[in-house]
Amino acid sequence: MNRAFWYFLSLQLFKERSKHLTIIVISILLIFILSSVLFISSSIRFSLEQTLKPQPDFVISRLQGGVNRSTPIEWSDELFDIYGVTKVTPRVYGRYFFRPKGKSFLIMGIDAFEEESHKSLEKLIDSIDIKAFLTGNNMIVGEGVKEYLQKNFYNNSYKFLTPKGKFIDIKIAKIVPKETRLLSNDMIIMPIDLAREVLGYTQDEVTDIAFNVPNPDEWSNIEDKLLSLHYDLGVVDKNEVKKSYETLYNYKSGFFLIIFLILIMTFSLILYQRYNMVYSTEKREIGLLRALGWSINDVLRLKFMESFILIVTSYIIGIFIAYIFVYIYNAPLLKNIFLGGQNLQNSVSFIPIIDIATLSSIFLLYAVPFIIAVIVPVWRVSVTNPKEAML
Amino acid sequence: MIRVENLSKSFYHQQDESKILIDINLHIKRGECIILKGISGSGKTTLLSIIAGLDRPSKGKVLIDDEPISKLPDIFASKIRAKKIGMIFQHFNLFENLSVYENVTVPLIPSGLPLDDIYRAVDKSLKVANIYHKRSLVASRLSGGEKQRCAIARALVADPDIIVCDEPTANLDSQNSILFIETIKELHLMGKTIVIATHDPLFENLNFKSRIVPMFDGKIDE
Amino acid sequence: MNEILFSNQVIIYLLSESLLFVLLFIAFVVSIKIVIKWDFDSFSQKQFRLEKEAYLVSTITIFLFIIKFILLIYFVFTIDSLSILIAGAMCGAGVVTANEYGTYLLLFKLIIIATLILWFYLNSYDTHTKNYLHMKKKSLLFIAIFISIIFELFLDFQYFTNIDTHQPVSCCSTLFGQLEGANPLPFGLTIPLLLTLFYLLYFLTILTLKTNYRVLYIVSNLLFLYLAYYAVVYFFGTYIYQLPTHKCPFCMLQSDYFYIGYIIWGSLFLGTFIGISDALSSIWTTRKYIKNSRLVISMLTLFVVLSSIYVIIYYFRNGVWL
Ligand SMILES: Nc1ncnc2c1ncn2[C@@H]1O[C@H](COP(=O)(O)OP(=O)(O)O)[C@@H](O)[C@H]1O
Ligand SMILES: [Mg+2]
Repeated sequence: MNRAFWYFLSLQLFKERSKHLTIIVISILLIFILSSVLFISSSIRFSLEQTLKPQPDFVISRLQGGVNRSTPIEWSDELFDIYGVTKVTPRVYGRYFFRPKGKSFLIMGIDAFEEESHKSLEKLIDSIDIKAFLTGNNMIVGEGVKEYLQKNFYNNSYKFLTPKGKFIDIKIAKIVPKETRLLSNDMIIMPIDLAREVLGYTQDEVTDIAFNVPNPDEWSNIEDKLLSLHYDLGVVDKNEVKKSYETLYNYKSGFFLIIFLILIMTFSLILYQRYNMVYSTEKREIGLLRALGWSINDVLRLKFMESFILIVTSYIIGIFIAYIFVYIYNAPLLKNIFLGGQNLQNSVSFIPIIDIATLSSIFLLYAVPFIIAVIVPVWRVSVTNPKEAML
Repeated sequence: MIRVENLSKSFYHQQDESKILIDINLHIKRGECIILKGISGSGKTTLLSIIAGLDRPSKGKVLIDDEPISKLPDIFASKIRAKKIGMIFQHFNLFENLSVYENVTVPLIPSGLPLDDIYRAVDKSLKVANIYHKRSLVASRLSGGEKQRCAIARALVADPDIIVCDEPTANLDSQNSILFIETIKELHLMGKTIVIATHDPLFENLNFKSRIVPMFDGKIDE
Repeated sequence: MNEILFSNQVIIYLLSESLLFVLLFIAFVVSIKIVIKWDFDSFSQKQFRLEKEAYLVSTITIFLFIIKFILLIYFVFTIDSLSILIAGAMCGAGVVTANEYGTYLLLFKLIIIATLILWFYLNSYDTHTKNYLHMKKKSLLFIAIFISIIFELFLDFQYFTNIDTHQPVSCCSTLFGQLEGANPLPFGLTIPLLLTLFYLLYFLTILTLKTNYRVLYIVSNLLFLYLAYYAVVYFFGTYIYQLPTHKCPFCMLQSDYFYIGYIIWGSLFLGTFIGISDALSSIWTTRKYIKNSRLVISMLTLFVVLSSIYVIIYYFRNGVWL
């Protein structure tokens, strides 16, 4: 394939561009829809992975009838005794329901004696005096919480109602910037004792206890050991969480893909029809090429290159538009399919993630049916009898 | 050069066989100019297309330089078409949306020659066919005579030994027909083997050496 | 429904495989016709049509090869990415062995690629004859490929529908690690012996390439392929991972190792497959010499150099062997 060939090909494509226009437009539209969805799903997956990364490897809690109950804090001392366990952190958190519309937010307690959580808090928001924050009735809230409170005219503080019927007035000390995404949007952070009071725990109770096991080979080992400690102890490891998220988003985009398959099949049939028609008008021209010394292989090459260029052009344009749509305009409408129904998370913006897996998936899902649809029409026109030129 | 041996061609419509060419034998020597003469429907076009390897015979064979062009795999047959045969069609058969220049490049595209060599060959044959001055015009805008000259340039561009013309003057006025015959004479003097199918009486007494082969009902009267 | 089947990549993979099959079926029908009715000397309309349809078969096969090649890489990639969905799997090794079909599926894929390369050689010999001398052999080979692909498609679906995500699978360290000193190497070889044979076979392959000892060349290629697999898993791999106990053919495909596994396995398989097909087809078509020797040499050399270089770099950095 030399320059002369490309020259002729570009000539043909340019002069015959109106023949291919409809196909290109439909292709771009399909690729646009497909890649928007895949971009969104891979971006969400990436965000989740980022948020899960600093999360503890294991979390244990007391189970009663398969449901989480408050966990005795002595359990954390037992954890310290197991070899290979690090960063044992008792945690207090839970959802707090605001009366007016039954909206709920996640409350997290921060321990005054936990160096680790201080560090991660500092990372979350710079310029905060942790000591001062932890000694008063203060809270840090996510962007979503702030907006909600402001809508209900709570600008500086909010009176929480504890399960015992007492009101506690807590001041908004800080707002978590939006960039931390997904998990912190509906979150409220406050000192651990305050959180206990708001959520109704006693002094020696926590929600659960988190810890790390740096050596992955020890994981199953330690899990077994823990389960033998207490009959009512439940343990969850990070991979399980990751897996359940992964499965959730797989279901969502999987359902979409299955619907999309019908679209792609229809598209293939249209392509087949259309190219059978287009090429039947070209029979005479192809016959002429063959009469002038082009072999069947030369014509096949010309026609396949033509299709290939169509595929690549619409692929690039479609992806480009989807990129702008998802990452610059934040995918209006489509976003709801993925994030809809979840609490306040709609103000999330997508991190641009372009990976080979997504790009190759889009290409395969579109290019394979495309070529399969045109292969027979292309062959049919390529083996045109050169005698056509004489008629 | 060209040897046609026991060539027959039939077309089939459902069960009916219609014999278009019947047992044709013809031997064309290098540098000869052959005029295939016969009324319309006598099978001239069919014979020409089998000689040029555009169609397959039902029986017999065509040898070009001892190669059986009608029984070769397509790769080889197209190579012979590209290198040894230049075609001029009754309706000129140009690519109407390409320019004269682009039309003439077409036969050389699959040759694998570098683009510069192709351009050189195109320029040369445009000049021989006397259409160089119109090279950037789109083919659909040409007059009949100019189209004919563009077709000649295209037939010559690969420097073939054999020129095959099917009714070359059927769509030309008499003046252009005479010009065409002049060009054919030049080609004849260059040593090309020329095969012309026609029923135009102009070809009956040419001022250069030629052989008239009369055709009637798919047979050659020799 | 199985959650594996909702993975985007699995859906796309299975769809592409199934769609390809439609085309293959068309080509299969034509191939059967060719095997039964091909008669190049005939002037009949049927024979002319068959010659044209033969072009459809070769067009489809070329397309098939390209897509199969891409899909093999995609498959490996998919397997690798599924490892987070399956309990206990750290890389593709665990996912492939998640049921009894995975290993066969992978093997089938490699064999199909190898057979397709053989088909290409036959095809190129065939198109260089003036009477389509090898058309029937080519079509028979295609029919064989078609039948293998039926099995492959069956395995594809069996494999992906039978992965139990809750049943913990073994990770590579248990699959490839030495258990109680049992020697995993074939023929009771030791590592030094394996390496000696590895390099010797490499040179033997290169040397016999230029000669006419084609059977020796094929055997040498096959042995090299077989031993190279063990050499990579049990020796070179440990240098890629920089961990003497990490023995796995799959982990090197991950981004942590810059996807180097694709190049290592790709060059090994392509090099030997091309070499073997080359020699086999020249025996089958009784042609004299072997073409494309440069491609084979460069592939195999790339493989050997790339594997060895990890060892050398490790030694220069740390002053010790693993
Ligand atoms: N494809 C075809 N199918 C059936 N009959 C054909 C076909 N092509 C040509 N013919 C018939 O063959 C005869 C000879 O045609 P042709 O070779 O074009 O004659 P000429 O060129 O001398 O006018 C005509 O009667 C025509 O109808
Ligand atoms: Mg005619």
